[in-house]
Amino acid sequence: MHIMEGFLPVAHAVGWTAVAAPFVVLGGRTLVRTLREHPEQRLALGAAGAFVFVLSALKLPSVTGSCSHPTGTGLGAMAFGPPAMAVLGTMVLLFQALLLAHGGLTTLGANVFSMAVAGPWVAWAVWRSSRRLGAASAVAVFLGAALGDLATYVVTAGQLALAFPDAQGGIAAAFAKFAGIFAVTQVPLAVAEGLLTVVVVNALTARGVITEVRA
Amino acid sequence: MTALDRIAHAGRWRRLPLAEKALLALGLLALALILPPWPGAVLVLAAAALAALAGARVPPGAWLGAFAAPAAFIATGALALVVTWGEDGLALVAEPLVAVRPALRALAATAALLLLALTTPAPVLVKALRLPPELADLALALYRFLFGLLDTLRAMQAAQQARLGGAGSIRSAGLLAAALLPRALERARRLEIGLAARLHTGTLDTLAAEPAPSPRRLAAIAILLAAVAGGAAWLQ
Repeated sequence: MHIMEGFLPVAHAVGWTAVAAPFVVLGGRTLVRTLREHPEQRLALGAAGAFVFVLSALKLPSVTGSCSHPTGTGLGAMAFGPPAMAVLGTMVLLFQALLLAHGGLTTLGANVFSMAVAGPWVAWAVWRSSRRLGAASAVAVFLGAALGDLATYVVTAGQLALAFPDAQGGIAAAFAKFAGIFAVTQVPLAVAEGLLTVVVVNALTARGVITEVRA
Repeated sequence: MTALDRIAHAGRWRRLPLAEKALLALGLLALALILPPWPGAVLVLAAAALAALAGARVPPGAWLGAFAAPAAFIATGALALVVTWGEDGLALVAEPLVAVRPALRALAATAALLLLALTTPAPVLVKALRLPPELADLALALYRFLFGLLDTLRAMQAAQQARLGGAGSIRSAGLLAAALLPRALERARRLEIGLAARLHTGTLDTLAAEPAPSPRRLAAIAILLAAVAGGAAWLQ
């Protein structure tokens, strides 16, 4: 759910950048520490980030007939943890703006907050708690990826509602409107992303790439 | 490579100092956000498009191609602004013009972003961010892996379709992603071994030094930005 370049007013663009910045800075510090101890991981992490970028070129069927792409948010959060995902996600969003003109620089903060902070944290928390509550691995992965995807769109709807409140109903009505419009495509897409992530994790397990996703 | 990246690497403004291109593009981007959409955004859009087409000599077809996709997203976003959740479902807002202002602003801002993206390769910009060396390396590694992985994905998609794979099914997409991730990590591991075998301990930075900006051109760009802002105030 990229907000396009220039779509948000100045105050909102600056505000969301300020909200997202601490997460990215803290994630960056964690990542710098990891990379100082294990410099050999920087290429693997770079490849993983490139993989998340390339996932967006993977067309996914949506029940409404439209076609959309997975975000990779859930998979990334489960594999690397939310702090690292904040940094990798920011880099991916920056390159998407510069190489595809998808998203933008002034809306980078808002997009980072929805897709590289809120989505990964929700996905990770849901996945961890489902495992703790005794859910099967596939169920936990599905729930984490699907709800993480859903969280990004709920946050985006909130960001748009704050920027463009309804003339009569205010922010709440605008949120209901944006969430309602997005729900048509995003709810099936969240389910699709959840299923896709399960297929990916299962296939990776079958190949012996991962033994079992740690929770 | 993506279309934007190819033009940025081969374009006429590739060798110009980053400070000059950044001042022009980011200045226009800031003006797009600050100035009132009419006439400010229209002037910014015109200036950014003119700079890209006439200044950097980006082929018009390529510029339109790069502009079309974000413009379509902006149009969809603007459509969401002209409807409201009334008592009997979705209805048009009383003043549909409310959607025109953000749409104009976004179109102008996109043109400014394109001016930067079409004249400056992404690694040059990443380097200018002066990130900690570990993170700069990570960003550059990510960038370098992108294109190889995109090519691999396209080849895998073609192979899947050639075997009558269910293009568009979740299972097919999942198998593609699952086949791609180990390849990506394996490529990274081989590269790492290669670097280690050459006793590489430094950074992955391979960029040549950027030329120094010319004060005269910087001043000319500042005057141009002021002219756009002044023109917007005058027209209003």
